[in-house]
Amino acid sequence: MDNLGNLLDGFANVVTPMNLLIALLGVTIGTAVGVLPGIGPAMTVALLLPVTYGMEPTQAFIMFAGIFYGGMYGGSTTSILLNTPGESSSVVTAIEGNKMAKAGRAAQALATAAIGSFVAGTIATLALVLVMPPVVAFAISLGAPDYFALMLLSFVAVTAVLGASRVRGFASLLIGLVIGLVGIDQSGQQRLTFGLPQLADGIDVVVVAVGIFAVGEALWIAAHLRRKSGEVIPVGQPWMGREDWKRSWKPWLRGTAYGFPFGALPAGGAEIPTFLSYATEKKLSKHKEEFGRGAIEGVAGPEAANNASAAGTLVPMLAIGLPTNATAAVMLAAFQQYGIQPGPLLLTRESGLVWTLIASLFIGNLLLLVLNLPLAPAWARLLRIPRPYLYAGILFFATMGAYAVNAQPFDLFLLLTLGLLGFGMRRFGLPILPLIVGVILGPRAELQGRRALQLSGGELHGLIGGWVSWLIYAAIVVVLLWPLVGRFVVRPLRGRLVTR
Amino acid sequence: MTGRTTRPERGGDRPPRPAVPTLPEQAGTPDREKGGPPPAASDPTPPAADLAGRPARSAASTGPAPVSAPDAEVAPPDAEPAATPARGGDRAQYGVCAFLALVGGLVIVDATRIGHAINSADPIGPKPVPILLGVLLLIVAAVYAVDVARGGAGEPEAGEDVDLTTPIDWRTVLLLIGAFLVNAVLIERLGWVISGTLLFWGSAYALGNRHYVRNLLIAVALSLITFYTFAIGLGVNLPAGVLQGIL
Amino acid sequence: MTILVGYVPSALGEAALRAAVEQARFRDEALLVVNTSRGDAYVDPRFAQEGDLERVVSELTAEGVPHTVRQLVRGRDAAEEIVEIVEAEEISLVVIGIRHRTPVGKLIMGSAAQEILLRVPCPVLAVKAD
Repeated sequence: MDNLGNLLDGFANVVTPMNLLIALLGVTIGTAVGVLPGIGPAMTVALLLPVTYGMEPTQAFIMFAGIFYGGMYGGSTTSILLNTPGESSSVVTAIEGNKMAKAGRAAQALATAAIGSFVAGTIATLALVLVMPPVVAFAISLGAPDYFALMLLSFVAVTAVLGASRVRGFASLLIGLVIGLVGIDQSGQQRLTFGLPQLADGIDVVVVAVGIFAVGEALWIAAHLRRKSGEVIPVGQPWMGREDWKRSWKPWLRGTAYGFPFGALPAGGAEIPTFLSYATEKKLSKHKEEFGRGAIEGVAGPEAANNASAAGTLVPMLAIGLPTNATAAVMLAAFQQYGIQPGPLLLTRESGLVWTLIASLFIGNLLLLVLNLPLAPAWARLLRIPRPYLYAGILFFATMGAYAVNAQPFDLFLLLTLGLLGFGMRRFGLPILPLIVGVILGPRAELQGRRALQLSGGELHGLIGGWVSWLIYAAIVVVLLWPLVGRFVVRPLRGRLVTR
Repeated sequence: MTGRTTRPERGGDRPPRPAVPTLPEQAGTPDREKGGPPPAASDPTPPAADLAGRPARSAASTGPAPVSAPDAEVAPPDAEPAATPARGGDRAQYGVCAFLALVGGLVIVDATRIGHAINSADPIGPKPVPILLGVLLLIVAAVYAVDVARGGAGEPEAGEDVDLTTPIDWRTVLLLIGAFLVNAVLIERLGWVISGTLLFWGSAYALGNRHYVRNLLIAVALSLITFYTFAIGLGVNLPAGVLQGIL
Repeated sequence: MTILVGYVPSALGEAALRAAVEQARFRDEALLVVNTSRGDAYVDPRFAQEGDLERVVSELTAEGVPHTVRQLVRGRDAAEEIVEIVEAEEISLVVIGIRHRTPVGKLIMGSAAQEILLRVPCPVLAVKAD
C-alpha cells in the first residue's frame, strides 16, 4: 500500500518535538476559542493565518488541523454546559446534552461527546485516507469543462442548499465573486482597481476572511451585546460508567456513518447528519422515555456525526480544492497564501504536506482527548472572560493579521470596509459562506471556464465536456430543486425534533 | 450613518435556531407608497416568500426595468447596506437591493472601459465575466426587491453573545470604528505597540468596560507580547514606529 | 431602617449573610440582600443562580427575619450599585465579606470591598470567611 507508506511518512514528520508542540498549541487554541462564545473555528483560522507566515507551511497546517478539530470539541462543551449552540451543527447536541447536565450528568455528557468525537474523528480520518486517493485519481482525469461545472455546482450548492433564503444566498455569492474580480486578470487588464495600485494584486483572501468573519462578527455582536450572565452548570471530571459506554458506542459508529458522507458532499454540511443521527438514535433506543430529558444516545450520536462530517469536508477540499464549509474555505485561502495551488494535483505535487496534514489530524484528535477529559472544568473557566475583552481582542488580532499580510495601512481600511460589509450581511440575514466561497473559487472558475472556451474557440459548447460534466449539470438541477425536497422531507422532520 | 433605528430587528425573541419560516405580517404597509408590487400579506402560503427564488426570478427576467427604482432614496457614497437603515423595519432591506444594484452597475461600467484583449489563446478576454456578474447582480437586486415587497426578510444572525431583543447600539459600533480608524492612521507613525494599545483600550471602552487602569495594563501587555512574539520572534511585519530602537 | 448585605454564592457570602442575620435580629431591622453582576461575562461566579437565591430566601424565612432580595445586572460594579442603594434608601448598616488581596491584584482588578468601605455613608461591617 503506497498510501499507507505515505501516511507513515506523514506520521514521522509530525512526531518531531517541535511539530508535536505546534499540534498541541493548535488543539489548545482551537479548544479555547471553541469554548469561548462568539468565536468559531473559521474565524480562528482566519485570525491565525497571518501569524503563521514565519512558519513552514507544514507546521502551519499542523496547527490549523489542531484548531479545526479543537474548535469542534470546544463547541460541544459550550452547548452542553450552557445550552447555547453556537453553530447549527451543535443544536442537536444541546438538546439532550444540556438536559443531561441539568440532571447532574454533565460529566457523562462531556465524556460521551469527547470520546465520541475521538472515535468519529479517527474513523472518519481513516475513511479520508481511503477515499481520497481514488477521488484524486478520478479528478485528475477531468478536463477544464468538468472543473468549471464542478465549481458551478459548488457555488449553487453552498448558495441554494445551506441557508434559508436563496435570493440572499445568491446576493452573497455574487458579492464574493465581484470581490474576486478585483485586480489584474490573466490577460493583464485591471479590473475594479479604480486606479489604486494597492488593488492591482487583488484583495487578499486573508483580508477578506478576517474582515468578514472577525471584524464583521465583532461589530455585529457589539451592536447587540448581551448583557446578561448565563447559567453555567458546574462540571466535574468527565467520566462514564459501564452502562454509559454500552449505550454510547453504537450511536458513535452510526453517527460517524451519517457524518462522513454528508461532510464530503459539496453541500452536505453537519446539520443534516446530526439531525438524522438524533432521529435514528431516538428510534432505536431502548430508553425512548429519556429522550427530551437527557438521553446519552442523543449526545453520543450527533456529536460523532458532527465530527465525522468535519473530517468529510476535507475530502473535497484536499482532493479537488472545493470548500464545503467556512473553515475549509479559510484553510484553502491558507494554501493559496503559501503559494500552493489547491486542486487534484495537490496530492502529487505536495504529497508530503498533505500526508503530514492527515497524520496531524490523527495526532491532534488524540491530543484533544488527552487534553479535554481532564481539563473540562478548566475550559469552562474561560467563560468568565468579560465580553469587552473578548471582542476587543478579536479586533486587535484581526488588525494585526491584516496589517501583517502586506505591511500597508491601506489593508486596514479595506479590512474595515469588509467588516462593515460583514456587519450588514449579518444584519440583513445574508449568509456568509457563499461570499467566501465566491472569493476563493471565483477566480479559479473563471480560469477554468476561459480555458474550456479557449479549446472550443469561444463557442459555448466548450463548457460541456464529457459525461462527467453532464452528470454535474444534472446535479446542479437537483440542487436547485432541493427546496422542494427540503420543504416536504427535511423541514417536517426538523420541526418534529424541535417541538419534542 | 445618521439614521436612527427604531427596532429594525425582527424575530428577536426566537431562540438561536436555524429555523426559517418568515412572518408575513409586516409586508404591506411600508412599501405601498413606493408603488411596489401588490402586497402579499393575504398570501395564504407564507413559505412561498421564503423560497421565492424560483417563481420570482422568472417574473423578474420578463420585466427587468424597475431594477433601480428603490435606490433613489439611498445613495450612500460608501454604499454600505449597514450604514443606511431606514426608519421602518423591513424598508431598510431596500437598501440592500440598492447596494446590489449599485455594485452591479459599477461592475458593468468598469468592464466596459476594459480594452479589447482578445486573442486566439484567450477568445473570451477579461470582459464577459464582469458583465455577466453585473447583470446577475442587477437581476438578484430585482428579485430581492420583489422578495422584500412580498414580505420576505432575512433573519438577523443569532449567536451566543447576540441579544436580538435590543436595537442596534450605534454608539458602540461607531466608537469601535473610531478606535479601528485611529489605529489604522497611527500604526505606521507610532508603531504597533502604541497603536495596538490604543485599539484594545479604545475597543474595551467602547464595549462598556470602565476599568481604565486595568484595561491599559492589559492593552500594553498584549501589544508588547504580540510585538515580541510575532514581529521579532516569527518575523511578521509589524512596525516599531517611534519606539524603533527602544523595543 | 434596613440592613444591606452584599451576597455572593460562596463561603464569603454565606459568612456575610450570617453576620447580617445576627445584626438584623439584634437591631430588629429588616434585611436587604443584594447580589450584583456586571453581566458582561458569559459566566460570573459572583452571580447568584436561582437555586442560591431560593435557598437564601428559605433560610431567612426559617430564621424569621423580614427580608427583600434584589438582584441587579446592569453592567455596573458591585461597589457602585451598593453605594447608590445606600445613598437612595434608608440603610443603617452595610454588611460585606472581605478577603485578603495582594497589592498587585488590587491594582489590576480593583477592590470592591475597599470601594464600599470608603464610599458608603453609613457604617460597614466587614466579615471574613471562616
